[in-house]
Amino acid sequence: MSKDPALVLKDIHKTFGDHEVLKGISLEAHDGDVISILGSSGSGKSTFLRCINLLENPTKGEIQFNGEALQLKQGEHDLIAADMKQLTRLRQKIGFVFQNFNLWPHMTILQNVMEGPLHVLNRPKKEVQEYAEYLLNKVGIADKKHMYPNQLSGGQQQRVAIARTLAMDPQILLFDEPTSALDPELVGEVLGVMRGLADEGRTMLIVTHEMSFAREVSSEVVFLHQGLVEEQGTPEKVFGSPDSERCKAFLSTVF
Amino acid sequence: MELDFSVVIEYLPRLLSGTWMTIKLVLLSIVLGAIVALPLALARISKNPLISGLPFAYIFFFRGTPLLVQIFLVYYGASQFEVVRESFMWPVLREPFWCAIIAFTLNTSAYTAEIFRGAIQAIPEGEVEACKVIGMTKTQMYRRILLPRAFGIVLPAYGNEIILMLKASALASTITLLDLTGMARTIIARTYTPIEIFLAAGAIYLLISMVVIYIFRLVEKRQNRYLGTQSIKVPDKG
Ligand SMILES: Nc1ncnc2c1ncn2[C@@H]1O[C@H](COP(=O)(O)OP(=O)(O)OP(=O)(O)O)[C@@H](O)[C@H]1O
Ligand SMILES: [Mg+2]
Repeated sequence: MSKDPALVLKDIHKTFGDHEVLKGISLEAHDGDVISILGSSGSGKSTFLRCINLLENPTKGEIQFNGEALQLKQGEHDLIAADMKQLTRLRQKIGFVFQNFNLWPHMTILQNVMEGPLHVLNRPKKEVQEYAEYLLNKVGIADKKHMYPNQLSGGQQQRVAIARTLAMDPQILLFDEPTSALDPELVGEVLGVMRGLADEGRTMLIVTHEMSFAREVSSEVVFLHQGLVEEQGTPEKVFGSPDSERCKAFLSTVF
Repeated sequence: MELDFSVVIEYLPRLLSGTWMTIKLVLLSIVLGAIVALPLALARISKNPLISGLPFAYIFFFRGTPLLVQIFLVYYGASQFEVVRESFMWPVLREPFWCAIIAFTLNTSAYTAEIFRGAIQAIPEGEVEACKVIGMTKTQMYRRILLPRAFGIVLPAYGNEIILMLKASALASTITLLDLTGMARTIIARTYTPIEIFLAAGAIYLLISMVVIYIFRLVEKRQNRYLGTQSIKVPDKG
């Protein structure tokens, strides 16, 4: 018996008002896949990524984790979760890293990282703290654990945000342009952490404008254009000899 | 004319007992008001018009009508109904003190609910999404992150509301209560020294306000150490 894919997205549509942003996107991620999602601004990358854990509600489509279908029902404008218990349970398994970090500013770095495992997963405090400290060490912020987010640089905050996400032991990691809000000199430290995660064999979906990074770490690259998959394949294929003229044009502007 | 402040010394014990009444009125109604305000604010945030409609009407009424009218409605109005006079609530509703507490609580809860709502809605959407993506339920989200976070945002406006309540509490004297203002008036009726006594009462109000401001500054400083300054605008009591 073959294992179900970690994540299956089928024919995802999303409309804001009368603006159709996603026009039917399908994608599969197997354990260990690192999939980069590229595309020009406004092509629907963030919207697509946010539909996966229902931060944004798709208007049509199917979502499956390890073969388990996310229960959806028709809402007023779009599909909404039919079973909130299932949604929160699945969300615990899907890490999400935001462009703007979104750390909780009134809590220390350590508290930010411990919050999820301690109060959502109800793990014992001692164990959670040890794990949080291990993760902060891993992303290189161990010495700042008692500081508050606003006392850290953007790159450091993003690394904390990654540690906070890892603390939940997610099976899949979603990144929405994790380095776009950073000063250029801080991008490298975050990409370094992410490269480490890819090397560990983690399953990742990464929306990014960092082309050389995407080329190095990805097992698959998807190029979105106006809400549709325009080009898809290995990094060699997409970066080396894309079929799509638009993809070629896009790559020539960013390289 | 000559001012003679020895009356202030002479009547200081009575002024202080009025002060104590004022403090009791303000403290009780502020605490009860906050307890009423929290569910009001949460209901008001709801996207469901059936849930947000009622608190909206409540807040609209209590902010849109004079506090004095609300006090009179409770004090003179309640006794007009036989059901009230015969109910177990009558021993309470007969007392001017409790009438004032009820009117103040209802009034301040409407303002406080708006302050709470403003604070919760001032939390950046991204911080709320950070709760969602780790699989928090709504209850966990509010209890663990949003309410503690809102607490820091709410402080300046809430301190302001307490001071407004302190000043508004002078209206309690219109229903025979001997709060600071009521006490000042009875003293003046006897001594005919309105300037001295009202100045003394004013000074005591000022002193209490200063203590409130000071306490809130301290808490705010502690709470918002690393947040930078944040505050929300709230409408003044009309
Ligand atoms: N909440 C919303 N309401 C209305 N329109 C939206 C909303 N969110 C996104 N859009 C629109 O959907 C389109 C796709 O947006 P999206 O953020 O997914 O693009 P993107 O590919 O992530 O772009 P970028 O590279 O700039 O982040 C844009 O035209 C945007 O204006
Ligand atoms: Mg985006």
